[in-house]
Amino acid sequence: MFSRPSHRRRSNTETVQLNLVPMLDAMVTMISFLLFTMSFLQLVSIDSPVPRASTTELEKQLAEKPVQLTLSLRKEESELWSPFERVPTVTIKNAEPGKPDIRAIHDALVKIKQQFPKEIRLILVPYATIPYDILIALMDNSRTLETTDGAVFLKNEQTGVDEPVKVLFPELIFGNLLGDNE
Amino acid sequence: MSFQRSIRNRTGRRRVRKEFELQLTSMMDVLVIILVFLLKTYSTAINSFTTVAGIKLPVSYSKDVPPDSLQVIITPEGLTFENARIVDFVIAAGGVGSTDSSYTFKTNDLDENGHRIVPLFDALIRAKEKSELLKQRSVKRDAYGKPLPFEGVLAIQADKSIQYDVIRKIMYTGAASGYSVFRFLAKAREGI
Repeated sequence: MFSRPSHRRRSNTETVQLNLVPMLDAMVTMISFLLFTMSFLQLVSIDSPVPRASTTELEKQLAEKPVQLTLSLRKEESELWSPFERVPTVTIKNAEPGKPDIRAIHDALVKIKQQFPKEIRLILVPYATIPYDILIALMDNSRTLETTDGAVFLKNEQTGVDEPVKVLFPELIFGNLLGDNE
Repeated sequence: MSFQRSIRNRTGRRRVRKEFELQLTSMMDVLVIILVFLLKTYSTAINSFTTVAGIKLPVSYSKDVPPDSLQVIITPEGLTFENARIVDFVIAAGGVGSTDSSYTFKTNDLDENGHRIVPLFDALIRAKEKSELLKQRSVKRDAYGKPLPFEGVLAIQADKSIQYDVIRKIMYTGAASGYSVFRFLAKAREGI
């Protein structure tokens, strides 16, 4: 026996109502929590140790004659040199007065790194009025070796295998903390 | 006529009585998208570095996330150390926030031939003594049972227009008060 058509329809179309309100509450709470605890400003850092001077270290340096690569920045030009003349002095004209040619400095540093892959230290001697953003850009370019730069290899003394070097001169020291106003 | 109106009103009343249901599904969709976006871009800082309004930080490729340390903030208006303004610059013709060298130290804020910033030196010494005292009282000890040494790290957060001469004075002052590492802070380049 068939049931009434109206009755049959009613039994098939019975819908279950999902209660979304508690789920919505939880989501609003989570979004608020994420928004409040999120840090929108991501800071990074570049460390620089204080230069130290001691007579014993100086005597040792004079005996060893280290590279002690120095980057002197002036308003018109930049100069890469070594006080013990381990590398020939490289002079790079600034792109604009007061704006060092960061790309050319980086390329010159890569060439020196290829000669001295163990060297990690670079002494910076900026001029007094150089802005902080140019200084940060210079420090960035002096620290990191890009994928487009020529390969630099360093022999692993334990394994005897040449391994690629991933950093340029990560140890940056300011050499003119006691400098005059220029 | 009045009979017809009453019938019409009755049907209207019946419509109003129908149960009103808020459509939450579309709102849920939006919230899920926002939640997924926030979870994907979520990043928490492991430090409590604060900044000051109006500072324009330079951008860096560095991937080093700075751990917590004492910090000095330099703006064209002055120096802030640990959320307290310690030095106000003398602003010249260029005005506040100008990119030229229109800010300078007051003469009585400097000593040692203009190399050392006196209020910063005092603040750094106080912070160092406080840190050493806390380390002496702490249960954390080194291998010889002595208190852990003072780290001597000073984070420098500067506006991108600040000149090296100011930063050099801060580094000199830091070195004179026993700080051995300067941590230059910058904004992370997007997409690294």
